[in-house]
Amino acid sequence: MGSVGLTLPWEHRISPMADQGDGRVEPEIEAQPNQTTNASPADAALAAGCLAGDMRAYERLYSLQGARMRNLARNLLGSQTDAEDAVQETFLKIQRSIRSFRGHSSFVTWAFRILVNTCHDIRRSRTRRREQVQTDQDEAKPLGEPRAPGAHPSLRLALERALTTLTKHQREVFLLYEVEGFRHAEIASLLEISETASKNTLFQAKKSLRSMLEPPRSADAGGAR
Amino acid sequence: MNITCADRDRIFMDGSAEEWAALEQHAESCAECSEELRAWKSISIAAEELRDYKEDQALWAKIEGSLRENARRHGFWTRLEFWRAFPIGWQAALAGALVLALALAGVYVFIERNTPGNASDKLLKNSALAEVERTERDYMKAIDKLAADAQPQLDSPSSPLMASYREKLTVLDSAIDELRAEAGQNPSNAHLRYQLLAMYQEKQETLREVLETKR
Repeated sequence: MGSVGLTLPWEHRISPMADQGDGRVEPEIEAQPNQTTNASPADAALAAGCLAGDMRAYERLYSLQGARMRNLARNLLGSQTDAEDAVQETFLKIQRSIRSFRGHSSFVTWAFRILVNTCHDIRRSRTRRREQVQTDQDEAKPLGEPRAPGAHPSLRLALERALTTLTKHQREVFLLYEVEGFRHAEIASLLEISETASKNTLFQAKKSLRSMLEPPRSADAGGAR
Repeated sequence: MNITCADRDRIFMDGSAEEWAALEQHAESCAECSEELRAWKSISIAAEELRDYKEDQALWAKIEGSLRENARRHGFWTRLEFWRAFPIGWQAALAGALVLALALAGVYVFIERNTPGNASDKLLKNSALAEVERTERDYMKAIDKLAADAQPQLDSPSSPLMASYREKLTVLDSAIDELRAEAGQNPSNAHLRYQLLAMYQEKQETLREVLETKR
């Protein structure tokens, strides 16, 4: 696969931390700060609170996961406004369907599954809307809106563009694993796929991104084994 | 653990901690694997650029508002959720009982409607109405004939009794006119017909009394 004009000098793309190793590169050994555990007491308490209609439980869910939900939605939809709509709609769906939550997965994983499906719906309706309007402005509009102020704009842009070339599944798995810190078991439950499929999809996604963001390799790089 | 370049992709996909450590060790002496390993890790590092976990209380305020509105709107249906608390067998039994109660109520209403003497029967059917009106006309003719016979006696001003009968007949005629006017506006009202019949009977009785006084 070609680099589709996304190549950047590696020194711009890779922080000094890269050489020190990244826990998430390895299989799920190290716990991530945002990681959710299946059916933990806190998770069960949160679910019970929401089931009872306790607004404080919803507020707790938002304070624990709201930022991550909004971030995932924004990366999936490429729009801050759509992301906020998606999160709001997700909370309403949780409220409406909390009684159908059976605890087969963690409550947080279940909430994220609703979020991902809501993002699909929004993306579909937006595509239909765009097809109807067919304005040049819409076509020219980039996928992403301004993101983290601290992010390197070139790197962020390159990565965003590269992500748009991935398949929907690859993009979702990549964002869930690499950006949001979910484990493969959680992603499998969230996207209703197998854990192996999640690992394989992430591998394919990273391989594609690797090709697109590939730096010019030195002539003698492919030598020793 | 002995690792070669051929193992690299498999480890990238699903390697254990030991295999990763062995790959790192191998990469120290392999430029290609070193580059691939660095690039692979760099993607994870780059992914952090897509992470922005800024707090947004304004969004929570919006969400809370819509959650409360939704709860208020669906409050009634939520209160009916007790239904789900019953086991499925009980739900079926209760639903069956409800259907049976509705069926019995329907049968009861049907029987009541078809029992004579009910309030609903006060509204006459069209065919019955025609017969009532025909009978009424015949009845009126008979009474008019009776009135014609009694008229000479009623015209006599001498007797206070006759004056009283005259006054009573005037009141009855007035009542009959009013009832006929009302029955004309609402011909199917059986109650009005019964009242009218009672007035006719009263008039007939009064005229008979007048005629008997003559004898």
